[in-house]
Amino acid sequence: MKLSIQNLTKTYKNGVKAIDNVSIEIGTGMFGLLGPNGAGKSSLMRTIATLQDPDSGKIFFEGNDILENKMELRKTLGYLPQSFGVYPKMSAEDLLFYFATLKGISSKQEQRRIVQEVLEITNLYDMKDKNVAGYSGGMKQRFGIAQLLLNNPRLIIVDEPTAGLDPAERHRFLNVLREVGTNSTVIFSTHIVEDVKELCNEMAILNGGRILKHTTPMEATKEMEGQIWTKTISREELDANKTMFDILSSNFNQDNTLNIRVLSETKPSEDFKAATPQLDDVYFKYLKEDEVNAKTIV
Amino acid sequence: MLKIFKFELKYWFKNPTFYVFLGLFFLISVLFAAISGGIFESLTGSNVSTRIVNSPVGINDIFNGISIFIWFLIPSVIGASVYRDFKSNMHSILFSYPFTKAQYLFGKFLSSLFVVSLIILGIMLGIMLGFKLPGTNEQILTSFNIVPYLKAYFVFIIPNVLFIGAIVFGVVTFTRNIAAGFIAIILFLFIGDIIEIIFDQDKDILYRSLLNPFGGEALYYYTKKWTLAERNVNPIPIQEILIYNRLIWIGVSTILFSLIYKFFQFHQNAISFSFKKNEGERFVKQNFGNIINIELPKVTFDYSFLYNLKASWKFSNMDLKYIIRSWPFIIIAGVGVLFLVISSTTFGEIFGTNTYPRTWQMLLIPGTIFTFFLMIITFLYSGLLIHRSRTSGINVIEDCTTIPNWTLILSKFIALLKMQALLFLVVIISGISIQTYRGYYDYEIGHYLFDIYILQFASVVIWTFLAFFIQTLFKNTYIGFFVLLVLYIGIPYLSAIGIEQSIFKYNQGPGYRYSDMNGYGAFLSPFFIYKAYWTILGLALFILSITLWTRGITFSIKERLSIAKKRFNPKTAISFGVLIIAFFSLGFKIYHENNIKNKRYTQKDRELQRVEWEKKYRKYSSFLQPKIVAVDVDMQIFPKERNFKAIGEYTLVNKTDKPIDSILLNHNDYPSKFEFSKENNLVSEDTVFHFDIYRFKTPMQPNDTLKFTFEIENKEHTALRTSSPIIENGTFFHNTHFPSIGYPDGQELRDDGIREKYGLPKNDLRPHPSDSTALGNTYIAKDADWIDFQATVSTSMDQIAIAPGYLQKEWEKDGRRYFQYKMDSKILNFYAFNSARYEVVKENWNDINLEIYYHKGHDYNLDRMMKGLKESLKYNSENFSPYQHKQARIIEFPLTEGSFAQSFPNTIPYSESVGFIAEVNDEDNEALDYPYAITAHEVAHQWWAHQVIGADVLGATMLSESLSEYVSLKVLEKGYDKQKMQVFLKDALDKYTTSRTFETKREKPLMYNDGQGYVRYQKGSLVFYALSDYIGEEKLNNTLKEYVEKVKFQTAPYTTSEEMVSYIEKVTPDSLKYVIDDMFRTVTLYRNKIISVETEELENGKFKVDIEFEVAKSRYNDKGKVYYNLQEGDTLSYQKEGRKKPLYSAPLADYIEIGIFGEEEKDGKTKEKELYLKKHKITEIHNKVSIIVDEKPKEVGVDPYYKLIDRNSNDNRKDI
Repeated sequence: MKLSIQNLTKTYKNGVKAIDNVSIEIGTGMFGLLGPNGAGKSSLMRTIATLQDPDSGKIFFEGNDILENKMELRKTLGYLPQSFGVYPKMSAEDLLFYFATLKGISSKQEQRRIVQEVLEITNLYDMKDKNVAGYSGGMKQRFGIAQLLLNNPRLIIVDEPTAGLDPAERHRFLNVLREVGTNSTVIFSTHIVEDVKELCNEMAILNGGRILKHTTPMEATKEMEGQIWTKTISREELDANKTMFDILSSNFNQDNTLNIRVLSETKPSEDFKAATPQLDDVYFKYLKEDEVNAKTIV
Repeated sequence: MLKIFKFELKYWFKNPTFYVFLGLFFLISVLFAAISGGIFESLTGSNVSTRIVNSPVGINDIFNGISIFIWFLIPSVIGASVYRDFKSNMHSILFSYPFTKAQYLFGKFLSSLFVVSLIILGIMLGIMLGFKLPGTNEQILTSFNIVPYLKAYFVFIIPNVLFIGAIVFGVVTFTRNIAAGFIAIILFLFIGDIIEIIFDQDKDILYRSLLNPFGGEALYYYTKKWTLAERNVNPIPIQEILIYNRLIWIGVSTILFSLIYKFFQFHQNAISFSFKKNEGERFVKQNFGNIINIELPKVTFDYSFLYNLKASWKFSNMDLKYIIRSWPFIIIAGVGVLFLVISSTTFGEIFGTNTYPRTWQMLLIPGTIFTFFLMIITFLYSGLLIHRSRTSGINVIEDCTTIPNWTLILSKFIALLKMQALLFLVVIISGISIQTYRGYYDYEIGHYLFDIYILQFASVVIWTFLAFFIQTLFKNTYIGFFVLLVLYIGIPYLSAIGIEQSIFKYNQGPGYRYSDMNGYGAFLSPFFIYKAYWTILGLALFILSITLWTRGITFSIKERLSIAKKRFNPKTAISFGVLIIAFFSLGFKIYHENNIKNKRYTQKDRELQRVEWEKKYRKYSSFLQPKIVAVDVDMQIFPKERNFKAIGEYTLVNKTDKPIDSILLNHNDYPSKFEFSKENNLVSEDTVFHFDIYRFKTPMQPNDTLKFTFEIENKEHTALRTSSPIIENGTFFHNTHFPSIGYPDGQELRDDGIREKYGLPKNDLRPHPSDSTALGNTYIAKDADWIDFQATVSTSMDQIAIAPGYLQKEWEKDGRRYFQYKMDSKILNFYAFNSARYEVVKENWNDINLEIYYHKGHDYNLDRMMKGLKESLKYNSENFSPYQHKQARIIEFPLTEGSFAQSFPNTIPYSESVGFIAEVNDEDNEALDYPYAITAHEVAHQWWAHQVIGADVLGATMLSESLSEYVSLKVLEKGYDKQKMQVFLKDALDKYTTSRTFETKREKPLMYNDGQGYVRYQKGSLVFYALSDYIGEEKLNNTLKEYVEKVKFQTAPYTTSEEMVSYIEKVTPDSLKYVIDDMFRTVTLYRNKIISVETEELENGKFKVDIEFEVAKSRYNDKGKVYYNLQEGDTLSYQKEGRKKPLYSAPLADYIEIGIFGEEEKDGKTKEKELYLKKHKITEIHNKVSIIVDEKPKEVGVDPYYKLIDRNSNDNRKDI
């Protein structure tokens, strides 16, 4: 169960290079795709999900060239898009029956069984007769998972599923996803570092259509051990510090002072304290590097 | 406000759509104007040369006509101006900005209105340019004049756009749905029809004029009686009713807009309707997650073709549910059904009398309007369905499932077919309900199903293929819809640019008609071939739709094309290729049959042929020829095979006093053999015109006799072509299929303008009756005077065959039936053969055998026809002369052969549609017993045509048709009261005054008429009826009797209208001589009008009635130009206060009836009672009379029974 992407490139009509020569291999388990808004995450995922064709490059899943043989992939694919709509005036159950038919489940009995099961898994059973169009954001995302499960997929693609969910919803959602992900390849995109930390055994950071780093959350933080430093400064000192240090992130305290985290091989100055690297630090490090590189190109 | 206005304009001026629309409409307008200006005349044949196409009325029509298409833009321009803000969710931000409601709404509305009015200016410029293009026909164009354009723009179009715009703006603002705006437009397209159906009476014209929101009807109020000459020059009259109409509707628009203003709120939600009340329920979601185990049940997957096919069917039900539950469908279908019901109340109506609700008639009810609604729904929903998953956003999930594209598109296609089938079911149910309601229980379910679900459905399915292709091509449903609408309306008109053959025009081809007698006859085979041809193309388009189907997310056309290229794999390519090859092969086969195997001529070719024909052969028109004196025909009819063979013998005599050395033989393109009993050479043979010249070795001396024999039969039929007039049941074979002698002038072009173009002299159609050299022929046939006639007709065993004459012998041989007929007296060279499976009813009246041959089941009105036969025979023989035959027969023929009856000697073929299935209601005062009236008319022809026949000069039809119609009225009058007669007279009057406005050649006085129906029937009957009132029926009939006595069965020189009028004039007193001038010698129309009426009850219980009325008389020349003077300076004029122009009249010394009417109870019904009726001598235009009557008057009238020819029949009477 290996997904292999080779030299994938996609440029949109307006000149934006959404995917820029991406090559990556993804194995079983949860794979987190981390990147800011507009990094090309959705484009990449839509391309894998056979919704759009790349300009060049190849994608293989279990040895199949999926760009040439989309139907083969679709048989094993579960896809939850970043945003999706539903037909108005249709209940969750009816829509799931509809999707079950779309996905090739022929027996009415089996359809009934699996629809009931996915409704229970996603805890939507009590709401199955309500129109999906009237669902709240979290319920709709769970419905998205329910439909995705119908064909027992081996490749699952979920595009920013946690955006807009409240903490309890998010938690529940991630639990379901984790459970689903044990036996299949799950590609999970997000711009929330926390999600990846909690969930993924592998990850990549994507920006400007390029993979900046392919690693695991554990390794990534380990790599940066001893390089993260922190100190508290006042609001006015920020600009001065910026020129002196490589600031990865800064956040306000309640008394209007700032905590800054700085990347440095050695202790930058006496007033810094060493800090344990967080996944955030890794994320910001690569984004910042990329920004600098991109600028130098210009 | 100005800010929003400017902002919106900027949006449009930057938007390429604006320029696309502007350009599109400009081009359409150029094209339209150029076409009507005759730019394609070199391809399509010439336009009528007397109608100026850019006259004020012409400009107004074309400008308004094209502007109707603008309506479809209004939802996407005016409606969208608000919708855009909702759609982009801008409204939540925008509405918090500091401008007022008024600023927002006015800004939006006026700016978009401004944009639309700019596009309309584009139309205006387009029309102006189109008329000016080089290559247009200068004969039909007058010099440029800006005024009509401005009037059309400011008086009609802009107020209409304002009105429609206000409605659409309101609808879209409150529903936040552009589709709703579209529905509003579609409904408004039909509002004129709806008003017309509600106010269908002629007298309701004022309501119609005021209520029609677009002003067309109000304009028509003024222009409807304009003759061509007036139409060509008169400016658009902006007068009272039109002004009121415009003010009313501008007012309504203003009110609408203020209502929108009042109810509009920035923070509103779209108004939605729901019949279900949702009970509120409190939901608390489970907020504490638990760890779960996922163990999905094992399911089996099926990706087979069969499974996907089943899935299509399943999804189609879902899509169908979506369609029939949505508002646009419910509204459009609802209105469509409403139309169905309304139009079903008056089907088959002739003279106020309906027909029995036969199934074939029920099947005509969907007609064009319901089908149009069906197509609109199809065009709209093909787009909505195709784009539905994308609009709802579910496509991102659907598109990455394993379902193949074809399953999705097929499911939507099936859904549409089911929707159409459902609507068609409504037609069947309505049909059966109407039949039941009318107490008619002969339901032909099989016929319903076949006609609806096979024949009518075929066309709809073929359009649906195209709709799918177009809607797949365009991402925007409404653009697709607009394109489809233009194609649907435009394709049938492609002939206007010279594309005449159906194989080049999508879903065009021969139609079909049904008759009770002959079913669908031979129509079906070509119909199915063409439908198969288009279905094949439809399937090919369907394959293209599948390859172009948008799956996933595509951004550019290039991308879609490259995907389509990939999808066009060998399998697809092969099936597409096979279809295309089949399409072209079948197309070629049809083309070959129509163009190569049989020569095909375009309209233009035909026009040129007529020119060539005349130039080549006109010189023979006065070539002396022998005349036919006897005809003997052996006519073999083979109904099943639809073949015939005729072997005929003409006996010809040289009746001239000079030798004749050649004979001109005019025949058809049937395979034929000709033989003369005299030695001859074929010196000229024309295979195009089938006009041959044979020269005798020795000339035919005066009084010499010659036998001419011919043998003709039809060519073989093919699946596409029928080559004979024989039909399976109900053949009506006219002797025009047989050869004739001499040059026939019926082929000549009539239009003098077109003739001039081809260098032909002006055409006077026929010589004047005073030309004594022109009286040698009857107007029926040039090659014969009176003939002896006999015929043997054979047909199949189950049919009866009929020809004029008396049955001499009937026998059977070799499985065929033979009938031998012989006429005992001389007849005109005018006969026909009928054959069908007939039922017969016979009666004997005064030694005359009366027989009706009818189709089984068509026995509803046999009594009425019998009565008509008797009464007419009685009236004619008592008043004019004895009947020349001992028999009179009516013979039914199918409506596919025509809707008329025709009088041959002792034989009257009579279409099934003009009497046999009429449901006559004697109680209804407005309903004519037309089976009776038509029978009376046809019987009268046995005198007025078959005894008295006019020479082939102007006015000849007055002697036959006008007199027959007069007799019919007189026979009808016997059993009827005056009130009922008045309905028919008014009907004839309105038909005459309306039809004459369409005249393009000339309208001559009755005595010199060119044979137009509206002159010889309507005007003729009115004139003779009025004459019998003025000089007395007895006096008139007596002088006619004298006339008949003198001219009946005469030989050349034949009689003329002048001769008859001289008999009438003889018995007319001097004071009424003017009537003869008005009625026969000139085209004279009255304008009689009651201005006001006042009554006063007198002390003795009587009533004094003061009537103010106008009488004016105008005359028209041939071209429809009005004049008032008889001699220089004798025109009367009357200047009324407050009127701009005086009223003119020809000098008056006329006797005009003044009537006063009350009411009386008769058999529980209120009926009109005549209190006073007298002719007053009128010498002035403006008159006042004071009359005392005994009872309370209710109504007064000037010429209240419509005896005189009056330009406006609606103001002759006035209620008190």
